[in-house]
Amino acid sequence: MTDPTDTLATGDRIELRFPARGDLIVLARLVTSAISARAGFDIEELEDLRLAVGELCLLTLHGSDGRSGVLCLELTVLGDAIGVVCTLERATAADVAGPEGEEIVFLSEQILDALVDEHGRESHDGFVRTWLRKRRGGHAE
Amino acid sequence: MDQEFQIEERAGTAPPVIAVSGEIDVATAPQLRECLHRVIAEGESTIVLDLLGVTFLDSTALGVLVGALKRCREVGGDLHLVVADPRIVKIFEITGLTSVFTIADSAQAAGAS
Repeated sequence: MTDPTDTLATGDRIELRFPARGDLIVLARLVTSAISARAGFDIEELEDLRLAVGELCLLTLHGSDGRSGVLCLELTVLGDAIGVVCTLERATAADVAGPEGEEIVFLSEQILDALVDEHGRESHDGFVRTWLRKRRGGHAE
Repeated sequence: MDQEFQIEERAGTAPPVIAVSGEIDVATAPQLRECLHRVIAEGESTIVLDLLGVTFLDSTALGVLVGALKRCREVGGDLHLVVADPRIVKIFEITGLTSVFTIADSAQAAGAS
């Protein structure tokens, strides 16, 4: 029998805020695994979400100096789906990395295309916001 | 937490085998980049990169591998990958990189002796 205290229901929202540093993205992946399991995602979907949220964080950090600002991750249970919003606040812009940096953005977007149902990125006035949505039981591939 | 990130350069094989374990992400990929670039700069043109111990890799890791592959091919060599974990293979598949890299399931199959 499932312990109701181990599950999450529609509307439950978890927020994680941490210094906007690449080496701390592992925190976002760990939280995503825990939340996805409690929201009823199976192990393969959970692994997909873990990778996808890491890529979402990388896309959000792209163009920042990777040392300043705060990365905020919001995970919301939406019925049979999870919605994730990642925002970057108060970061300092940096020169976009060279060809490898652009290649990584392309690879990130390919990974997100394959693993989640919807995703997007928007930025204005130095504020970057990325988001994704993945449904349970229906592999995006 | 997953297995700690480690790089092991195995002596006595031709081509050289570099074995990586743990998570290759934005935090650890620079160490792998530095290792691969150094080995190529020391004169190796073909490298077998054993990823059997890798538990996670992201786009940053893929970027490092693609960069190293280009360097190897510029000097007439290649970068052979050893991957068996279906989760890791899947990342190469969804990014189309299975058609770019030579991927084997053991270092021997990748040409190391």
